[in-house]
Amino acid sequence: MMTIIRVAAVLLTGFFVGLTLEGVSRKIIARIQRRYGPPWYQNFIDVFKALSKNGITHGWIFDFGILMALGGVIATLAFVPLGDLVAFPGLDNLFIIVYLFAVGALGMAMGMVGSGNPNSSIGVARALTQMLGYEIPYMISVSAVMYYYKTASVSELMLSQQDSWTLLKMPLGGIVAFISLLGMLGKKPFDTPIAPAEIASGPMVELSAKYMGLLMLMHTFSIFVEIGLFVDIFLGISNYWTFLIKFTVIWILATLISSVLPRFRIEQVVKFYWKVPLGLAFLQALFVLLGWVF
Amino acid sequence: MGEVKLFFGPNHPGMHGNFSVHMYVEGDTVVRARPLPGFLHRGFEKLMERRLWYQNLALIPRICVPEPDINEVCYAMAIEKIAKIEVPERAQWIRMIVLELARIASHLMSFPGIGGSLGLYTGPFWGTADRDRVLDIFESLTGARVYHMYIVPGGVRKDLTPSIQKSIKETLDYIESRLPDYENLIFKNRIVHTRLKKIALLDRETALELGITGVGLRATGVPYDIRKVDPYLFYDKVEFEVPTATDGDAFSRVYLKFLEISQSIKIIRQALEKMPEGKVNVRISDGNALRYRVPKGQAYVHVESTRGEYGYYMVSDGGEKPYRVAVRGASYPQTFIGIEKYLPGTRIEDVPIWLSTMDVCAPEVDR
Repeated sequence: MMTIIRVAAVLLTGFFVGLTLEGVSRKIIARIQRRYGPPWYQNFIDVFKALSKNGITHGWIFDFGILMALGGVIATLAFVPLGDLVAFPGLDNLFIIVYLFAVGALGMAMGMVGSGNPNSSIGVARALTQMLGYEIPYMISVSAVMYYYKTASVSELMLSQQDSWTLLKMPLGGIVAFISLLGMLGKKPFDTPIAPAEIASGPMVELSAKYMGLLMLMHTFSIFVEIGLFVDIFLGISNYWTFLIKFTVIWILATLISSVLPRFRIEQVVKFYWKVPLGLAFLQALFVLLGWVF
Repeated sequence: MGEVKLFFGPNHPGMHGNFSVHMYVEGDTVVRARPLPGFLHRGFEKLMERRLWYQNLALIPRICVPEPDINEVCYAMAIEKIAKIEVPERAQWIRMIVLELARIASHLMSFPGIGGSLGLYTGPFWGTADRDRVLDIFESLTGARVYHMYIVPGGVRKDLTPSIQKSIKETLDYIESRLPDYENLIFKNRIVHTRLKKIALLDRETALELGITGVGLRATGVPYDIRKVDPYLFYDKVEFEVPTATDGDAFSRVYLKFLEISQSIKIIRQALEKMPEGKVNVRISDGNALRYRVPKGQAYVHVESTRGEYGYYMVSDGGEKPYRVAVRGASYPQTFIGIEKYLPGTRIEDVPIWLSTMDVCAPEVDR
């Protein structure tokens, strides 16, 4: 019974805080761009409006893919510890989270390709290529952390940072994880998969009404998983409230960076990830192996 | 993977205006491209033959949406050339100020607009906000923000009052103070360099062969600017430079537009100083002001628009309506021959950059 309540608490936090922060970040971007911007609750309106309408389906693969994407990401979020709020204590293994997270991504790829629009296919191909770019440096950097603390449980990784944050202990790894985080979030300069001017928003091009609403929810939840993992692993011990504060800071930082940068071409994304962050990640791993940790 | 057909426009976030390009893509590269005009065809040239000389004033600004004043000045100058009318000196200076303000307004939409193709959305929003200041001036001067119908045959409709002159000066100072911000945001950004340099190349021979003018030609090192080559109004009485580049790539074309804003500011400041007092318009004929006749004759006038040489060829048979008006749209050659011949080989990522920096302007092409 407690588990169900905890899972519900995690998901509701993801829903309310995620959508609120998306609204707030729209407001921040608007102010940078010298606009007034929509109200902070605009994303709630968007999601509810989208979900209340009948959309156009493109066959059962399309429908199933979207459900698989949303389901996969919700399942992943249930395993992510939000500070001291852990839905499944002892099961929050990083490998489980990473594998479950791929289900969502693959569901989205399947659904979008199922729509039959070439722009969607190009977008999905780009998204998977980009994944290839950021996953490797990210996993090396996180593996170094796991090796150092001798555990793969996310909440134990968080609790191990008694004396100082992992970000300060392994600054290179932290930087690599943050750059990879920008890629996961699809923030600029790594928003190549959804480039509107090139491929008409890529994967989302055939989405309408409730399909769009479901995918907006999926996006909100995946932001929570991605930033949440970064906060848990790199930004010290937190309880539920300090977790949310750190989460907000990282989300706003990513938003600010995103608002003043253009996007890379897809091969530039992969080249960049395999050059700078991968090099730094290897260096960090070497330092950890040699015991050179602050 | 076989050939895939992609529709770039008319409903596409990367397309400016009602225009479409059918692209046949293999992998990420365009192998064939077919421009499809006609979504915005309103038959301006034919419509003009059915309307009085005066009525056409409301029609012509619609030919080019972002920079309508070049149409008004071409139309007025052509009539004045045929009818041999001497326009008051003050009106000529005011026309120059309006043209340069329009150039600034158009460039402020155009050069930060490259951010729309690159994902740097802060640029277009800043540009639109700053362009609004110029539109405010137009509103106080002409009563309209976009289509002004202010430059009429024989002069301009109203005088430039001292208070408007003051607000022009303040706006110019403001826009000048904003230019370093744009430079930092767009032109000093390394990712912009990697995306724009050596992309959408256009060499000098091709530009000359197609008849591309404006920044397209100037980016290849040819200092061709009608304001210098064949000065109209009083452009020979002001000092300004024509910025050129040698690379002929997307970056230099965008950067030249940015540099031209400073030159336009310089021209307006000189014009405000040199402008004498006096009348701002003369009557075309002694009869009815709305149903005048233009003597028999023909004329070609051309001006430098933001996209290149923009001209009107006008024939009058001495009647109340034009016999024939032909418009030389500056973006015509790159839009048709350019897209069909030179877009293939471009990657999908660079297509919006190609179309945006080559100044493909749908309303002007369709007319």
